[in-house]
Amino acid sequence: MSTPPEKERKEASAGLMEYSTESLVPFGPIHPALKEPEYFKLVLEGERIVQVIPRIGYVHRGLEKAAESRPWIQNMYMFERTCGICSFVHSLCYSQAVEELTLYQVPRRAKYIRTIIAEMERIHSHLLWVGLMGHWAGFDTLFMWVWNDREVVLDLVEAIAGNRVHKSMNTLCGVRRDMPENMEERIVERMKFLTDRARYYREIIDTEETMLARTENIGRVSADTAEKLCAVGPMARYVGLKYDVRLNDPYAAYDEVPLDVITTTQGDVHALLRLRLDELIASANMVSYAVKNLPDGPIRVKIPPIIPAGEHVSHCEAPRGEIFYYAKSTGGRTPDRIKSRQPTMANIPTALEMLKGQTLADIPIVLTAIDPCFGCMDRMSFYDTETNKKWTWSGEELRQYGINYYFPERSKKKQHLAEALRSQTNRCLKEGF
Amino acid sequence: MPQRRAGAAIPEMFRFMLEKPTTEAYPFKPIQLPERFRGKLDIDPAKCTGCQVCSLVCPATVITMVDLGTRKVGDRELKVRRPLFDLASCILCGECVDNCAFNALQLTKQFETATPNKADLLMNKAIVK
Amino acid sequence: MSEIITQLAKYAEEAGTTVNSLRKEESLVEVSQDHLKAFLTHLVNDLQVTHLMTITGLDLGQNLGITYNFSKEREIINVRTIVPKTNPKALSIVDIVPGAILYEMELQDMFGLEFIGNPWKNQKLLLPDEWPADLPPPLLKISKADQIRRRLGLEAAKP
Repeated sequence: MSTPPEKERKEASAGLMEYSTESLVPFGPIHPALKEPEYFKLVLEGERIVQVIPRIGYVHRGLEKAAESRPWIQNMYMFERTCGICSFVHSLCYSQAVEELTLYQVPRRAKYIRTIIAEMERIHSHLLWVGLMGHWAGFDTLFMWVWNDREVVLDLVEAIAGNRVHKSMNTLCGVRRDMPENMEERIVERMKFLTDRARYYREIIDTEETMLARTENIGRVSADTAEKLCAVGPMARYVGLKYDVRLNDPYAAYDEVPLDVITTTQGDVHALLRLRLDELIASANMVSYAVKNLPDGPIRVKIPPIIPAGEHVSHCEAPRGEIFYYAKSTGGRTPDRIKSRQPTMANIPTALEMLKGQTLADIPIVLTAIDPCFGCMDRMSFYDTETNKKWTWSGEELRQYGINYYFPERSKKKQHLAEALRSQTNRCLKEGF
Repeated sequence: MPQRRAGAAIPEMFRFMLEKPTTEAYPFKPIQLPERFRGKLDIDPAKCTGCQVCSLVCPATVITMVDLGTRKVGDRELKVRRPLFDLASCILCGECVDNCAFNALQLTKQFETATPNKADLLMNKAIVK
Repeated sequence: MSEIITQLAKYAEEAGTTVNSLRKEESLVEVSQDHLKAFLTHLVNDLQVTHLMTITGLDLGQNLGITYNFSKEREIINVRTIVPKTNPKALSIVDIVPGAILYEMELQDMFGLEFIGNPWKNQKLLLPDEWPADLPPPLLKISKADQIRRRLGLEAAKP
């Protein structure tokens, strides 16, 4: 990898995301403890991070190319499987992009059902994320409790759609299955239960010393930087920018269901925790309202398998941010071009800016705070710029290092591991592996 | 302003200790499945006419039509075809079920389909007479 | 037409191009490479349309299309520029919109474009390092999936 000359770099990047002239050691993202592979190169000065360079694409499956040789309906099932946690929003955004090319309108009842399922998915995703934050901060009890409550919403989704994760509820111009009878009371009662639990977790993160120490004043980015780097979703709302596609450009039934967009100017990871829990409560209210006011009517309109020529852009608000789909048709049974952009890709530049100036121990918290859909950092190689030493750690070692860095006297049980890590770090700083 | 303290979650921990565990007792007890649960695909061979619509709409290319000869209708010879299902690739979407005009297909509640023998997942009920 | 579109239409006339309305709140503007930077500077700095959703690449036969998708409240504004396949070089807009850096890298990998002025111009984002130099970039129409699989040494999928 060659570095461009100094003057060209400074002009081109306008002060953001500058290169450093250090040479970096390449390493592999394959690790036994991985969820999804990714690759971050860090340049450190002592404990502080100076620069991060990403490399993504390890789970690139070529969906955009594969979509060009499959019929329109079959593409929806393929794009639904882009992600597990935001699978319904992917199929919803794809349907919206293609439906605008036809002349058919989506029935009103279908729009309400789409809103209900999309908000349930948002509740599920935010509960999952709060649990992960607890895990990476060392607060495994919170992780277990939150994922227990997540089962409530997954059971509701299974009762409606037949499956917990890949719901397959959407089709072009409608939904495939109607709401079951006599579900209304059950849904409203379970949403109330989840609201009470979310309020309790909010109280915990505001008072519990562990979470406050790990998340306060960590991961700050200015509103101006977030706007210039085109951050989306909670990453824009936690610095005060009011970017929410449901508010700015309503789709499905969001112009009729009362919407509560939450922004905060606190600007650190603790604010993200509060923001997502508040969004959870707002989503639960929306589901209760939509279920009580469900209009009558058909749930789908049958359309021919040939879509007229044209091109259209559509965007939706996924739990992680803004999803973008572009569909171009030349009047055939298969599309000419489909482009999909996931919210995590839009948030990576902001995440890299968040990491600058943080310590090594904060990396798991900050990288999980952006709610990455391509997984968490696991195998990292470190390069100390002052002593020119390199070493490698696994994800579990990094997580334990973070816990011990903040609370060395609490981990009496894992004292031997803490001691081993500290002596290993000191040895590496002196001699290297 | 709430008080910062360590151990804010301990009262809740005691409440959880007194409740029964939320872990399901499967496989020692049978599991409760919702009504709309989507399990393994099944076909009723008596209702299938070989119209091949299921094969055309399947997103995962699970269904192949197999030629089984011809039959006489009036003075014409019509081909007889029946579907063969490779359930190892089935994504349980239910498109074939929705599109079958003769209600020959359904998604059962069977989910314990793991097998070391891949040939077990070839469903040829419609072909074998 | 909304206010942004009327102002854009006035500016577009000076640049020698027009604003096409695709749908009620979605419009498409085609500009040439010479006018692109001035047009985008006007759009981002003067009209305050700061949110770039993504950059979409298109294979248009003889040429490659680069579409910049902007959004502001209810409006979606697409700005398209055409680049010939024989000389696939385009100007980078990282100095106007710093968030475009990863989108341009993705187009460099997938369509074989080259963005002059992008600080990470020579780094691959999505493709593997051992991508053969004579294999066409994946999203062009002439590139076929089984050809890619064979050249990268991967086994063929289910026949």
